[in-house]
Amino acid sequence: AIGEVESDDQDDEDDSDFSDNGPDLSRMEESDLSDSESDVHGNDSDEDEDEDEEEEDIDLEDINSDLEEEDEENVAASARIRQTINNKEGLLAVLRRFQIDTSSSAPFVTHQTVVAKKSTEASIPSIEDDLVRELAFMNQALEAARIARAILRKENVPFTRPTDYFAETLRSDATMELVKNKLIEEATAKKASAEARKQRDLKKFGKQVQVAKQQERAKQKRETLDKITQLKKKRQEGGTSSAVGTKEADDLFDVAIDNELGKTAGGGGGNNKKRSFGGDGDNNRSGGNNKRQKKDSKFGFGGKKRHVKSGDATSSGDLSGFSAKRMKAKPDARPGKSGGAPAGRPAKAPRMGKSRRQGG
Amino acid sequence: MAAVYKSLSKSSGKKASEPELDGENNKIKRNKQRVLILSSRGVTYRHRHLLNDLAAMLPHGRKDVKFDSKSKLYQLNELAELYNCNNVMFFEARKGKDLYIWLSKVPNGPTVKFHAQNLHTMEELHFTGNCLKGSRPVLSFDSVFEEEPHLKVIKELFLHIFGVPQGARKSKPFVDHVMAFSIADGKIWIRNYEIREVEKVKGDEEESEETAAKARKSSKSSGDKDTDVSMVEIGPRFVLTPIVIQEGAFGGPILYENKRFISPNQVRSDLRKSKAGRHNHRAEQQRDRVAKFSNLGLDEVAKRDSNGLDTRELFA
Repeated sequence: AIGEVESDDQDDEDDSDFSDNGPDLSRMEESDLSDSESDVHGNDSDEDEDEDEEEEDIDLEDINSDLEEEDEENVAASARIRQTINNKEGLLAVLRRFQIDTSSSAPFVTHQTVVAKKSTEASIPSIEDDLVRELAFMNQALEAARIARAILRKENVPFTRPTDYFAETLRSDATMELVKNKLIEEATAKKASAEARKQRDLKKFGKQVQVAKQQERAKQKRETLDKITQLKKKRQEGGTSSAVGTKEADDLFDVAIDNELGKTAGGGGGNNKKRSFGGDGDNNRSGGNNKRQKKDSKFGFGGKKRHVKSGDATSSGDLSGFSAKRMKAKPDARPGKSGGAPAGRPAKAPRMGKSRRQGG
Repeated sequence: MAAVYKSLSKSSGKKASEPELDGENNKIKRNKQRVLILSSRGVTYRHRHLLNDLAAMLPHGRKDVKFDSKSKLYQLNELAELYNCNNVMFFEARKGKDLYIWLSKVPNGPTVKFHAQNLHTMEELHFTGNCLKGSRPVLSFDSVFEEEPHLKVIKELFLHIFGVPQGARKSKPFVDHVMAFSIADGKIWIRNYEIREVEKVKGDEEESEETAAKARKSSKSSGDKDTDVSMVEIGPRFVLTPIVIQEGAFGGPILYENKRFISPNQVRSDLRKSKAGRHNHRAEQQRDRVAKFSNLGLDEVAKRDSNGLDTRELFA
């Protein structure tokens, strides 16, 4: 009864040895596909082999009835059967029954299918790698779209949607709004983080630059002060030794000293007095500058303060403006003697005798 | 009577899906497909959204209410006949977790059962494309589909169900999306892309030759257009593993069975058994250890440092 050919359906069936038209209740009980997938595996009765379908019916009945006797054989057979359920002829027969024409003889627009030339799996080295895998799928689709577009254009089928064609879209406008917002959010977040990183780096760099500059300034200041002190020392020593000889040297030095002192004048406000006293050596003057400088020192910024005491202990004790060579242009052949004499005090000539004083 | 006769003859003509190139009349029988889309009970929100997405994509489909039974699937045949559909797409959810998709040609065609995984619906925000609702897609198949007979059958079913027939009532004229079916790792990966046409950017002097050559080539094939296509994913996306192919509609002998398919139940039970196995193994080891010690006379560990005043020694 199972193997009977039933041909009472409306559809055309070309060659069906075996047609299973409506609900085949007896079969359904045997192939109980209800609960879990394991049922399918454990179902002996519906197994096919790579043989004709009529033969297989008889085999199935045999299997059902003679289970105990030919147990081992059946187990082996069912194991073998279970491994190879791939009824290729049956599949192809079924295919022929319901296939529609997708060959090149049918116009492409009826089916719109494109089969790729190469296997997509070949271009995926590892299934786990999401990016590569999705890219491969997209490339397959892209190729198909290109081919389809070419063919459809040849067949004069409308392909591109014109911009003024408005119709309902698959995803609602609300969804597209959300998508757009998410994209915008992502973009701004990325930009903000890039900005922050840049600022952080700049700050670090800027800090480095600032520190370096400060150090350099401090170094220069130190250098200048060292130079000044050196020169001062040299001046004092050199001044008491030989007035004429050192005068020219001091001339040169004076220029340098004045320059240096002029530089640090802005930085050190406390040097102003010294500057005005020390810098006023008349060796430096030249004609018209004299007047200007005098006026500067008296009236200009940092000039001589008008109402300042001028004879107090510090000012009279300040002997930096004095030097022996200026007071007494005296050739001193004995450096030791002059070195021993207190600095700055003019070495007085010994007093003449009474006779000389009174008589001469 | 005439009306009945007319309706009967019309329905018989509609259900047929084979084209016959009638050489004399030059008439190609139209490809008329209708799909009945429904689910079983126990579908989760994810499955429901997927179903709704697919129903929206198929203008030749008809969405129906939940089907009660999970075992008497042959009743779906009658349901489809009622609605004049010749394809059925049935979503079966088991245990509230696993989704199985049945595709079938209703009167007597084959039935394929798939296990669906990795579902992503159109609602997800990382899909940025959009297309017309009901536009006819371009179906892109992997080359592997032409190699195995069971894959050929599957391809044909996809073509009938996911391919919108020409002249379907709610279909839209333009072609703006591609449905890609690829095979990898023994599974079928399904993706949807929007066809976006971008202007080919004319680059610098060096590149202008390339673009000019491309433009010439494209204009030759496409007439006058100078645009290139690019793909943007729309969704949904899912992965199907074929389980069985049966010859009849929801019944019949099994034509193909996938050996590599392991049911998710099996996977879960294996996992649990391995965990149980670990515990059992450890418990057994413990028991063995105790037995070994008692055999050697070392019953309890505390007995080792016993002095002469121990009760057991005094009152032996």
